[in-house]
Amino acid sequence: MGTIITVTSGKGGVGKSTTTANVAVGLAQAGKRVVAVDFDIGLRNLDMILGLENRIVYDSIDVMEGRCNLSQALISDKRDKNLYFLPASQTKDKSALQKEKVRELLETLKKDFDYIVIDSPAGIESGFENSIFLADEALIIATPDVSSVRDADRVIGIIDAKSEKAKEGKEVKKRVVINRIKPEMVESGEMMSVDDVLNILAIPLIGVIPEDKKIISATNLGEPIIYDKNSLAGEAYRRLSRRILGEDLEFLELKAKKGFLGIIKGLFS
Amino acid sequence: MSLFEAIFGRKKKSAEAARDRLKIMLAHERVNTLPYIDDLKRDLIEVVKKYAEVNDIKIKTEKNQDIDFLEVEILLNPPKS
Repeated sequence: MGTIITVTSGKGGVGKSTTTANVAVGLAQAGKRVVAVDFDIGLRNLDMILGLENRIVYDSIDVMEGRCNLSQALISDKRDKNLYFLPASQTKDKSALQKEKVRELLETLKKDFDYIVIDSPAGIESGFENSIFLADEALIIATPDVSSVRDADRVIGIIDAKSEKAKEGKEVKKRVVINRIKPEMVESGEMMSVDDVLNILAIPLIGVIPEDKKIISATNLGEPIIYDKNSLAGEAYRRLSRRILGEDLEFLELKAKKGFLGIIKGLFS
Repeated sequence: MSLFEAIFGRKKKSAEAARDRLKIMLAHERVNTLPYIDDLKRDLIEVVKKYAEVNDIKIKTEKNQDIDFLEVEILLNPPKS
Protein backbone atom coordinates (compact mmCIF):
# COMPACT_ATOMS: atom_id res chain seq x y z
CA MET A 1 0.00 0.00 0.00
CA GLY A 2 1.26 3.43 -0.94
CA THR A 3 1.85 6.42 1.29
CA ILE A 4 -0.12 9.63 0.80
CA ILE A 5 1.92 12.80 1.28
CA THR A 6 -0.01 16.07 1.19
CA VAL A 7 1.89 19.27 0.48
CA THR A 8 0.15 22.19 2.12
CA SER A 9 0.74 25.66 3.57
CA GLY A 10 -2.36 27.72 4.17
CA LYS A 11 -0.94 30.74 2.41
CA GLY A 12 -0.67 30.74 -1.37
CA GLY A 13 2.48 31.40 -3.35
CA VAL A 14 4.98 29.89 -0.93
CA GLY A 15 6.06 27.02 -3.17
CA LYS A 16 3.58 24.17 -2.72
CA SER A 17 3.41 23.16 -6.38
CA THR A 18 7.16 23.56 -6.85
CA THR A 19 7.79 21.38 -3.81
CA THR A 20 5.21 18.80 -4.92
CA ALA A 21 6.85 18.54 -8.34
CA ASN A 22 10.38 18.26 -7.00
CA VAL A 23 9.56 15.78 -4.26
CA ALA A 24 7.64 13.63 -6.75
CA VAL A 25 10.62 13.60 -9.13
CA GLY A 26 13.03 13.00 -6.23
CA LEU A 27 11.11 9.97 -4.96
CA ALA A 28 10.80 8.61 -8.50
CA GLN A 29 14.55 9.01 -9.02
CA ALA A 30 15.05 6.89 -5.91
CA GLY A 31 13.19 4.11 -7.71
CA LYS A 32 9.75 4.54 -6.15
CA ARG A 33 6.56 4.47 -8.19
CA VAL A 34 5.14 7.94 -7.71
CA VAL A 35 2.06 9.83 -8.78
CA ALA A 36 1.82 13.61 -8.35
CA VAL A 37 -1.81 14.65 -7.97
CA ASP A 38 -2.99 18.23 -8.42
CA PHE A 39 -5.89 19.01 -6.07
CA ASP A 40 -6.03 22.68 -6.92
CA ILE A 41 -9.22 22.34 -8.95
CA GLY A 42 -9.85 25.37 -11.14
CA LEU A 43 -6.40 26.86 -10.59
CA ARG A 44 -4.11 24.09 -11.67
CA ASN A 45 -0.40 24.75 -11.97
CA LEU A 46 1.44 21.55 -11.26
CA ASP A 47 1.06 20.59 -14.94
CA MET A 48 3.21 23.51 -16.09
CA ILE A 49 5.81 23.11 -13.36
CA LEU A 50 6.22 19.46 -14.38
CA GLY A 51 6.20 20.45 -18.05
CA LEU A 52 3.32 18.11 -18.84
CA GLU A 53 0.59 20.64 -19.70
CA ASN A 54 0.42 19.63 -23.37
CA ARG A 55 -0.28 16.02 -22.62
CA ILE A 56 -3.50 16.46 -20.63
CA VAL A 57 -6.59 14.87 -22.10
CA TYR A 58 -8.62 13.89 -19.03
CA ASP A 59 -8.39 15.04 -15.42
CA SER A 60 -9.17 13.69 -11.96
CA ILE A 61 -12.75 15.04 -12.04
CA ASP A 62 -13.35 13.10 -15.26
CA VAL A 63 -12.17 9.97 -13.47
CA MET A 64 -14.30 10.63 -10.39
CA GLU A 65 -17.39 11.33 -12.47
CA GLY A 66 -16.84 8.24 -14.61
CA ARG A 67 -16.11 9.92 -17.94
CA CYS A 68 -12.86 7.97 -18.32
CA ASN A 69 -10.71 5.32 -16.68
CA LEU A 70 -7.95 6.22 -14.27
CA SER A 71 -5.36 4.90 -16.72
CA GLN A 72 -6.64 7.29 -19.41
CA ALA A 73 -6.18 10.28 -17.13
CA LEU A 74 -2.77 9.34 -15.73
CA ILE A 75 0.09 10.95 -17.64
CA SER A 76 3.42 9.16 -17.62
CA ASP A 77 6.46 11.38 -17.44
CA LYS A 78 8.84 10.48 -20.27
CA ARG A 79 11.87 11.67 -18.28
CA ASP A 80 11.28 9.10 -15.54
CA LYS A 81 9.38 5.89 -16.01
CA ASN A 82 8.47 5.79 -12.31
CA LEU A 83 6.67 9.12 -12.36
CA TYR A 84 3.01 9.75 -13.20
CA PHE A 85 0.86 12.82 -12.99
CA LEU A 86 -2.86 13.20 -12.43
CA PRO A 87 -4.04 16.70 -13.41
CA ALA A 88 -6.76 18.80 -11.84
CA SER A 89 -9.71 20.10 -13.80
CA GLN A 90 -9.29 23.66 -14.97
CA THR A 91 -12.95 24.29 -15.80
CA LYS A 92 -14.60 23.07 -12.60
CA ASP A 93 -14.15 24.52 -9.14
CA LYS A 94 -13.26 23.05 -5.77
CA SER A 95 -16.86 22.14 -5.00
CA ALA A 96 -16.67 19.52 -7.78
CA LEU A 97 -14.76 17.24 -5.39
CA GLN A 98 -16.85 14.81 -3.40
CA LYS A 99 -15.27 13.20 -0.38
CA GLU A 100 -16.36 9.65 -1.16
CA LYS A 101 -15.19 9.92 -4.77
CA VAL A 102 -11.87 11.29 -3.57
CA ARG A 103 -11.55 8.36 -1.19
CA GLU A 104 -12.25 5.88 -3.97
CA LEU A 105 -9.66 7.52 -6.24
CA LEU A 106 -6.95 7.68 -3.58
CA GLU A 107 -7.57 4.10 -2.41
CA THR A 108 -7.07 2.95 -6.00
CA LEU A 109 -3.89 4.98 -6.39
CA LYS A 110 -2.54 3.53 -3.13
CA LYS A 111 -2.71 0.06 -4.67
CA ASP A 112 -0.72 1.09 -7.76
CA PHE A 113 1.87 3.49 -6.36
CA ASP A 114 4.42 3.70 -3.55
CA TYR A 115 3.87 7.41 -3.07
CA ILE A 116 0.93 9.68 -3.84
CA VAL A 117 2.09 13.29 -3.57
CA ILE A 118 -0.85 15.69 -3.37
CA ASP A 119 -0.56 19.39 -4.19
CA SER A 120 -3.21 20.94 -1.97
CA PRO A 121 -4.89 24.25 -2.80
CA ALA A 122 -4.20 27.34 -0.68
CA GLY A 123 -6.71 28.05 2.07
CA ILE A 124 -8.37 25.86 4.66
CA GLU A 125 -11.71 25.23 2.94
CA SER A 126 -13.17 22.12 1.33
CA GLY A 127 -10.37 21.78 -1.24
CA PHE A 128 -7.82 21.59 1.55
CA GLU A 129 -9.97 19.15 3.52
CA ASN A 130 -10.26 16.83 0.53
CA SER A 131 -6.53 16.83 0.05
CA ILE A 132 -5.68 16.17 3.72
CA PHE A 133 -8.32 13.78 5.09
CA LEU A 134 -6.56 10.61 3.92
CA ALA A 135 -2.98 11.83 4.25
CA ASP A 136 -0.37 9.69 5.98
CA GLU A 137 2.12 12.50 6.00
CA ALA A 138 1.96 16.26 5.55
CA LEU A 139 4.68 18.58 4.33
CA ILE A 140 3.92 22.08 5.54
CA ILE A 141 5.65 24.70 3.42
CA ALA A 142 6.55 27.98 5.10
CA THR A 143 8.62 30.92 3.95
CA PRO A 144 10.35 32.96 6.67
CA ASP A 145 7.84 35.80 6.79
CA VAL A 146 5.09 36.58 9.28
CA SER A 147 2.09 35.83 7.03
CA SER A 148 3.39 32.48 5.92
CA VAL A 149 4.44 31.32 9.39
CA ARG A 150 1.13 32.42 10.89
CA ASP A 151 -0.86 30.54 8.24
CA ALA A 152 1.38 27.48 8.56
CA ASP A 153 0.72 27.45 12.30
CA ARG A 154 -3.01 27.58 11.66
CA VAL A 155 -2.83 24.73 9.16
CA ILE A 156 -0.75 22.57 11.51
CA GLY A 157 -3.43 23.15 14.15
CA ILE A 158 -6.28 21.90 11.97
CA ILE A 159 -4.69 18.98 10.12
CA ASP A 160 -5.54 16.52 12.87
CA ALA A 161 -9.10 17.79 13.08
CA LYS A 162 -9.62 16.98 9.38
CA SER A 163 -7.63 13.77 9.24
CA GLU A 164 -9.16 10.28 9.35
CA LYS A 165 -5.90 8.88 10.61
CA ALA A 166 -6.03 11.19 13.62
CA LYS A 167 -9.63 10.12 14.30
CA GLU A 168 -8.45 6.52 14.50
CA GLY A 169 -5.92 7.62 17.11
CA LYS A 170 -2.96 7.44 14.72
CA GLU A 171 -0.76 10.33 13.86
CA VAL A 172 -0.34 12.24 10.62
CA LYS A 173 3.39 12.78 10.31
CA LYS A 174 3.72 16.56 10.06
CA ARG A 175 6.99 18.13 9.00
CA VAL A 176 7.95 21.58 7.87
CA VAL A 177 9.82 22.66 4.75
CA ILE A 178 11.28 26.14 5.02
CA ASN A 179 11.43 27.67 1.59
CA ARG A 180 13.16 30.72 0.10
CA ILE A 181 15.75 31.25 2.79
CA LYS A 182 18.09 34.11 1.92
CA PRO A 183 21.27 33.50 3.96
CA GLU A 184 22.59 37.05 3.58
CA MET A 185 19.35 38.50 4.96
CA VAL A 186 19.31 36.01 7.84
CA GLU A 187 22.88 36.94 8.70
CA SER A 188 22.11 40.65 8.73
CA GLY A 189 19.10 40.05 10.97
CA GLU A 190 16.53 41.09 8.38
CA MET A 191 15.01 37.64 7.88
CA MET A 192 13.91 35.03 10.40
CA SER A 193 16.28 32.08 10.51
CA VAL A 194 15.39 28.41 10.17
CA ASP A 195 15.67 28.10 13.95
CA ASP A 196 13.36 31.07 14.51
CA VAL A 197 10.66 29.49 12.35
CA LEU A 198 11.12 26.04 13.91
CA ASN A 199 10.89 27.51 17.38
CA ILE A 200 7.56 29.08 16.58
CA LEU A 201 6.00 26.17 14.67
CA ALA A 202 7.37 23.45 16.95
CA ILE A 203 7.21 20.59 14.45
CA PRO A 204 10.19 18.69 12.98
CA LEU A 205 12.11 20.06 10.02
CA ILE A 206 12.44 18.01 6.83
CA GLY A 207 13.83 20.50 4.34
CA VAL A 208 15.43 23.89 3.93
CA ILE A 209 15.30 25.30 0.41
CA PRO A 210 17.41 28.36 -0.36
CA GLU A 211 16.13 31.15 -2.57
CA ASP A 212 17.49 30.28 -5.99
CA LYS A 213 17.00 32.23 -9.22
CA LYS A 214 17.35 28.99 -11.12
CA ILE A 215 13.91 27.95 -9.83
CA ILE A 216 12.34 30.63 -12.00
CA SER A 217 14.08 29.42 -15.13
CA ALA A 218 13.28 25.82 -14.21
CA THR A 219 9.61 26.73 -13.94
CA ASN A 220 9.80 28.67 -17.21
CA LEU A 221 11.05 25.52 -18.91
CA GLY A 222 8.80 23.04 -17.11
CA GLU A 223 11.81 21.13 -15.78
CA PRO A 224 11.78 20.78 -11.99
CA ILE A 225 14.97 22.19 -10.45
CA ILE A 226 15.89 18.81 -8.97
CA TYR A 227 17.02 17.73 -12.48
CA ASP A 228 19.66 20.50 -12.33
CA LYS A 229 22.71 18.88 -10.77
CA ASN A 230 24.44 22.22 -10.18
CA SER A 231 21.76 24.13 -8.37
CA LEU A 232 21.66 24.54 -4.61
CA ALA A 233 17.86 24.39 -4.47
CA GLY A 234 17.98 21.21 -6.56
CA GLU A 235 20.38 19.65 -4.06
CA ALA A 236 18.12 20.75 -1.20
CA TYR A 237 15.15 19.02 -2.86
CA ARG A 238 17.21 15.87 -3.46
CA ARG A 239 18.02 15.73 0.25
CA LEU A 240 14.41 16.45 1.19
CA SER A 241 13.25 13.51 -0.93
CA ARG A 242 15.77 11.17 0.60
CA ARG A 243 14.74 12.25 4.10
CA ILE A 244 11.16 11.29 3.23
CA LEU A 245 12.53 7.83 2.43
CA GLY A 246 13.98 7.70 5.93
CA GLU A 247 17.59 8.74 5.39
CA ASP A 248 19.18 10.88 8.04
CA LEU A 249 20.98 13.57 6.05
CA GLU A 250 22.59 16.82 7.09
CA PHE A 251 20.92 20.05 6.12
CA LEU A 252 22.75 22.19 3.59
CA GLU A 253 24.92 24.78 5.20
CA LEU A 254 23.64 28.04 3.79
CA LYS A 255 26.02 30.92 4.13
CA ALA A 256 26.01 34.33 2.57
CA LYS A 257 28.80 35.17 0.19
CA LYS A 258 30.71 37.80 2.10
CA GLY A 259 31.24 41.19 0.52
CA PHE A 260 33.84 43.77 1.57
CA LEU A 261 31.80 45.14 4.49
CA GLY A 262 31.12 41.58 5.70
CA ILE A 263 34.85 40.90 5.88
CA ILE A 264 35.44 44.11 7.85
CA LYS A 265 32.59 43.20 10.24
CA GLY A 266 34.07 39.74 10.61
CA LEU A 267 37.35 41.24 11.82
CA PHE A 268 35.61 42.99 14.70
CA SER A 269 33.34 40.22 15.95
CA MET B 1 27.17 42.23 21.20
CA SER B 2 30.16 42.34 18.92
CA LEU B 3 32.73 45.08 18.94
CA PHE B 4 31.38 46.25 15.57
CA GLU B 5 27.94 46.72 17.09
CA ALA B 6 29.43 48.46 20.13
CA ILE B 7 31.14 50.99 17.91
CA PHE B 8 28.42 51.57 15.34
CA GLY B 9 25.36 51.09 17.53
CA ARG B 10 22.59 48.61 17.17
CA LYS B 11 18.97 48.91 16.15
CA LYS B 12 16.43 46.15 16.72
CA LYS B 13 16.59 44.08 13.56
CA SER B 14 13.41 43.35 11.64
CA ALA B 15 13.76 39.57 11.97
CA GLU B 16 13.65 39.98 15.72
CA ALA B 17 10.52 42.09 15.41
CA ALA B 18 8.91 39.43 13.20
CA ARG B 19 9.70 36.76 15.75
CA ASP B 20 8.30 38.73 18.67
CA ARG B 21 5.14 39.78 16.84
CA LEU B 22 4.46 36.23 15.70
CA LYS B 23 4.93 34.79 19.17
CA ILE B 24 2.43 37.19 20.65
CA MET B 25 -0.06 36.75 17.80
CA LEU B 26 0.10 32.97 17.82
CA ALA B 27 -0.25 32.77 21.60
CA HIS B 28 -3.63 34.40 21.12
CA GLU B 29 -4.68 32.48 18.03
CA ARG B 30 -3.83 29.06 19.38
CA VAL B 31 -6.39 29.53 22.15
CA ASN B 32 -9.18 28.96 19.69
CA THR B 33 -7.85 25.91 17.96
CA LEU B 34 -9.33 23.31 20.32
CA PRO B 35 -12.72 22.26 18.97
CA TYR B 36 -14.10 21.26 22.39
CA ILE B 37 -13.15 24.40 24.27
CA ASP B 38 -16.68 25.85 24.55
CA ASP B 39 -18.16 22.56 25.75
CA LEU B 40 -15.35 22.12 28.23
CA LYS B 41 -15.92 25.59 29.58
CA ARG B 42 -19.66 24.99 30.02
CA ASP B 43 -19.12 21.68 31.81
CA LEU B 44 -16.46 23.14 34.06
CA ILE B 45 -18.77 25.94 35.12
CA GLU B 46 -21.45 23.35 35.96
CA VAL B 47 -19.07 21.34 38.13
CA VAL B 48 -17.53 24.27 39.96
CA LYS B 49 -20.95 25.82 40.57
CA LYS B 50 -21.84 22.85 42.76
CA TYR B 51 -19.24 24.01 45.24
CA ALA B 52 -18.63 27.67 44.73
CA GLU B 53 -19.90 30.81 43.09
CA VAL B 54 -18.20 31.18 39.74
CA ASN B 55 -17.61 34.53 38.20
CA ASP B 56 -15.79 33.52 35.05
CA ILE B 57 -13.66 30.76 33.62
CA LYS B 58 -10.76 31.50 31.34
CA ILE B 59 -9.16 28.71 29.37
CA LYS B 60 -5.84 29.14 27.63
CA THR B 61 -4.02 26.62 25.52
CA GLU B 62 -0.41 26.76 24.58
CA LYS B 63 1.92 24.63 22.56
CA ASN B 64 5.56 24.64 23.42
CA GLN B 65 7.78 22.12 21.64
CA ASP B 66 6.31 18.76 22.65
CA ILE B 67 4.22 19.97 25.55
CA ASP B 68 0.62 21.09 25.28
CA PHE B 69 -0.69 23.25 28.09
CA LEU B 70 -4.27 23.78 29.04
CA GLU B 71 -4.48 26.54 31.56
CA VAL B 72 -7.75 27.01 33.40
CA GLU B 73 -8.32 30.08 35.48
CA ILE B 74 -11.45 30.11 37.61
CA LEU B 75 -12.51 33.42 39.07
CA LEU B 76 -14.66 32.93 42.15
CA ASN B 77 -17.16 35.43 43.47
CA PRO B 78 -16.04 36.93 46.74
CA PRO B 79 -17.67 35.08 49.65
CA LYS B 80 -20.73 36.81 51.04
CA SER B 81 -20.14 37.91 54.60
